[in-house]
Amino acid sequence: MKYLLVLPFALLAYPAAAQSTSPADLLAQYSAEAGAEASAERGQALFMANHTGGKPDTPSCTTCHTTDPKATGQARTGKPVEPLAPSSNPERFTDVKFVEKWFGRNCNSVLGRDCTAAEKADVLAWLDSF
Amino acid sequence: MTDAATSHMPTRRDPVLVWDIWVRLFHWALVVCIATAAVTGFVLGAPWITLHIASGLLAMALVAARIVWGFLGPTHARFRDFLRPPAEILSHLTGGDAGRHLGHNPAGGLMMLGLMAVVELLGIAGLTGLGGVLRTGPLLSLPYGIGEAGLELHEILAILLIVMILAHVAAAIFESRRSRENLVRSMVTGTKERRPGDHPGRNVVSRPRIALTVIALLAGLTVQVWQRDTGVPDGAPVAVLDEVFAEECTACHVAYHPSLLSGSEWQVIMANLDDHFVEDARLDDETNARITEWLVAHDASSAQTRPAHVFANARKDPTGRITETRAWDDLHENVAEETFLRAPIYSKLNCLACHADAETGWFSPFLIEIPKETSK
Ligand code: HEC
Ligand code: HEC
Ligand code: HEC
Repeated sequence: MKYLLVLPFALLAYPAAAQSTSPADLLAQYSAEAGAEASAERGQALFMANHTGGKPDTPSCTTCHTTDPKATGQARTGKPVEPLAPSSNPERFTDVKFVEKWFGRNCNSVLGRDCTAAEKADVLAWLDSF
Repeated sequence: MTDAATSHMPTRRDPVLVWDIWVRLFHWALVVCIATAAVTGFVLGAPWITLHIASGLLAMALVAARIVWGFLGPTHARFRDFLRPPAEILSHLTGGDAGRHLGHNPAGGLMMLGLMAVVELLGIAGLTGLGGVLRTGPLLSLPYGIGEAGLELHEILAILLIVMILAHVAAAIFESRRSRENLVRSMVTGTKERRPGDHPGRNVVSRPRIALTVIALLAGLTVQVWQRDTGVPDGAPVAVLDEVFAEECTACHVAYHPSLLSGSEWQVIMANLDDHFVEDARLDDETNARITEWLVAHDASSAQTRPAHVFANARKDPTGRITETRAWDDLHENVAEETFLRAPIYSKLNCLACHADAETGWFSPFLIEIPKETSK
């Protein structure tokens, strides 16, 4: 039911407005796409877990982003990675194309596949809960 | 500057001024300069290049001033006093020359000329390398190949100079023993004791004012020449990074300047972004094409810099790895493996941590600084 409410919103946000978005809009959009409500707990579990499907050097999201979304992480090259939680870094989840690009790459590196809309919604819900 | 040798009647044990104050200052200042240049050059390496060049240039200037003094100084400072014809040198070396020389003996004089010539040539070869390879200094428009040859000659001459200095020191010790006098102390106090049968040398009066004028003119000329050829040399690496490249290729690491690799290496990298050194760095086709084109257009063949020459040697199977080239290993052999891993460097790939100008493609040795270890 809720899904019907967010649908028009999501349709507006997705292809139309250049690329800019907000964590809340994007969450609504992914949830709508998934057809289910997002769960921060599931998101946290996905983010923290060690996976085996992806590349051996990057078993977990925490490899680069650390276990604390408010903390600055580090890529394998020594370059710092700004915190993922929008409360610590207001630029997070404000550009659809950017978010899609990185979910695409990072999920492939860690899980060996694309993340589903539901998984993206979960992770985002967790990251936005800080 | 009067010549003490001429100022009063000699008695047997009289000390006589042989080395005037300028010759002594020159000698010991040159010792300090050459020692500094040798330690910074042979031992300490690139991070000390500023001190290395400064001490080398000062040595060149000292020798130039000494050459002027060799024409205008007092008796024993003059070339005429110690540069003797070959027959005399030979006769000295074979023991046919009985008297003691107050100044340099004929063999020592030849060594003086050799040392001065090698110091000047060494400096010129160094400046050639600085210009052709590092693209700075008065000779920055020399072709890279000449610069490289200059650096090789610089190294050979440096070794030759060390050997000559050792021979010079050995000869000074040997002569001191043989003639029972302390020649090293003479180079400090300037005096030797007069003995019967000495070759006194032909007395001349020094011309300090003329010498000073000539030296000042030479210094002025040098400054003029130095400033003539400055600015951006030909073959400078592209100065402005493409904005799409800068956006897409700096998310995970520093921007590797296009001049660090050959076009074919870049093509390999860009064709394999989905498996980019064990990471996924996929781009859409349009963005990929644009970045590839820019990288290839400004690859190593477009730049006359040291990194462009050393890293881009054609490899049989291009990998796109700069850090896995022989040249990279050679350049960093003085840096301990742990240094790359500790905070705030974390990785060999983090060139910018130690090379302030990494993203310009220059990698100037003047700008190398290994950061102090930090807690995280
Ligand atoms: C190999 C290191 C690495 C791993 C592993 C990794 N990331 Fe990332 N992630 C990055 C980098 C680098 C960026 C982009 C740089 C930046 O924005 O600070 C990024 C960006 C993101 C963004 C973009 C956020 C925005 O809008 O700015 C999201 C979302 C993200 N990562 C989620 C994840 C998730 C979920 C995982 C686990 C499945 C993961 N990452 C694993 C390195 C990594
Ligand atoms: C998703 C993160 C990511 C992105 C985006 C990325 N790289 Fe990399 N890059 C890496 C990693 C990780 C390595 C190797 C790290 C290691 O092995 O320590 C690397 C290594 C390299 C190297 C080899 C460096 C060396 O000498 O070892 C080059 C060159 C390079 N990248 C170029 C690029 C270019 C060009 C782009 C833009 C098209 C790009 N990278 C985008 C993560 C990334
Ligand atoms: C831990 C610090 C550190 C890192 C990281 C580092 N370098 Fe260096 N690099 C040095 C030092 C120190 C030297 C000088 C070595 C010497 O001769 O004593 C040097 C020398 C060089 C030189 C030669 C400079 C010259 O002309 O004398 C080049 C070129 C260079 N590095 C390229 C790179 C590149 C490319 C990277 C990244 C892929 C890199 N370096 C990463 C410390 C570092």
